[in-house]
Amino acid sequence: MSTTGTGIRVAAVGDIEEGEALKVPAETTGHTDAIAVFHEAGAYYALDDTCTHGQASLADGWIENGEVECPLHSARFCLKSGEPQCMPATLAQRTHRVEVREGEVWLHPGEEADA
Amino acid sequence: MSGPRRIAVVGAGLAAVSTCDALRAQGYDGELVLYSAERGLPYDRPPLSKDVLLGKSRRENILLRPEQWYDEQGIELRDGAPVRAIRPHEGGLELADGELAAADRIVLATGGTARPLPVPGGDDPAVHLLRTWEDAERLRERLLPGARVAVIGAGLIGAETAAVAHALGCRVTLIDPLPVPLTAAVGDDIANALHRRHSAEGIGVLTAGVECIERRPGNLGVLLHLTGYGAPVLADTVVVGIGMRPATELAEAAGLHVDNGVVVHPGQRTSHPNVLAVGDVARPEGHKVRHEHWEAAQRDGEAAAHGILGRPLPSFGASWFWSDRHGSRLEAVGTMADAERTVLRGAPGDGAFTVFGLLGDRLVAAAAIDRPRDIKAARRIADRGVAVDAAALSDESADLRTLLKR
Repeated sequence: MSTTGTGIRVAAVGDIEEGEALKVPAETTGHTDAIAVFHEAGAYYALDDTCTHGQASLADGWIENGEVECPLHSARFCLKSGEPQCMPATLAQRTHRVEVREGEVWLHPGEEADA
Repeated sequence: MSGPRRIAVVGAGLAAVSTCDALRAQGYDGELVLYSAERGLPYDRPPLSKDVLLGKSRRENILLRPEQWYDEQGIELRDGAPVRAIRPHEGGLELADGELAAADRIVLATGGTARPLPVPGGDDPAVHLLRTWEDAERLRERLLPGARVAVIGAGLIGAETAAVAHALGCRVTLIDPLPVPLTAAVGDDIANALHRRHSAEGIGVLTAGVECIERRPGNLGVLLHLTGYGAPVLADTVVVGIGMRPATELAEAAGLHVDNGVVVHPGQRTSHPNVLAVGDVARPEGHKVRHEHWEAAQRDGEAAAHGILGRPLPSFGASWFWSDRHGSRLEAVGTMADAERTVLRGAPGDGAFTVFGLLGDRLVAAAAIDRPRDIKAARRIADRGVAVDAAALSDESADLRTLLKR
């Protein structure tokens, strides 16, 4: 596991409900896009928030079975790899590493998640 | 037993590209050629009546797949190559320039053409149809601030085009013979709210048919003479959005069973064993209407690929479509006409709300304005056959996802 920096504390465990996501604005992370932090099946994942296909926030998407479905045109992305699972998206979402440390959720913007 | 080695896809819309995509995803490694009558890379059509008309999207923004994808996938894209005839009994097809190409399976993805207005003057140069990139480009140049634009047909394309023209500062009149379009698909509440929105935004809405279009002398626009209205409507530009005609010519000439579309059976099979049909041109046997929606075209491609390769056919859930107008989004799952009663979530006229359609204790349809999560929940509830009760659906304090977890 990488130890680059301590990351940004974005939530306490329990703040982001199962099947929900938190949108972390670009101003907070210094990243080019907002970052969506997803909580699904007990694990946390982070992807660039803006869908690679349209102008939609994936934090508002439907989260299920390790995927998020875009609210706009139903493109689905793998939460872990960011890879598109169906049309209309053809480009992957960038991933960011998330870790849970002492009951808190830490985001490492710009650091790829472990595949 | 060996499967097909040379597959020709005729057409270049979503159904065509989806077929190619699914064939490769399923491991087909033979020849795959996509014949496009239009020039350029295949593009997605829904943006044509939205961001393309608004000038927000250019051709490169609406490509179905990036250019390198065709190389990566080993798909030979023949653009600007209209097909003159398919000859499945001879194992091939003929291009417009006389070139012959061998194919042991032919997938017809020819889509259709926008239906012209069948009245005198319906072919006036001021009258536009909207189906292709070129149509959208031509129309966009006409949607100038202050232009008088008459839109005939208030269904999906007409309503979207009217909203875009209005947003661009045109003076818009929207004309449809139905007082409220789309009721069968989305139900009365949603259809009413959508249609009222046009006049609330400042569009002139008329319930009328068009008798004829008369060109005024001196290039001063056209007059639309309407049934039941004494005064004609003056317009600089007319847009006709009254549906499409399936492009069945190739199928008919080849002797395939054609009846309001190329008739298809499970796996998109036509009446010829080596020919399939996908997307807008196809009509499933036993269905009265063709499924002319974006997702349906994508599903057809997947089903065709599975069928061609002899794989078990995928099963798909409830249908879905969307439409954007006046900054709001309509989404619908299934067909409201299939429901025996409806349940509201949220209040009609209140901007965002949802209508669920029930048959017994099953959800069979839903339609919503600006409620994407309700629609996503509805699709899953419908597809999984979860029994629901009306009170739970209408209770806005309850998360619809809990209905899926029982």
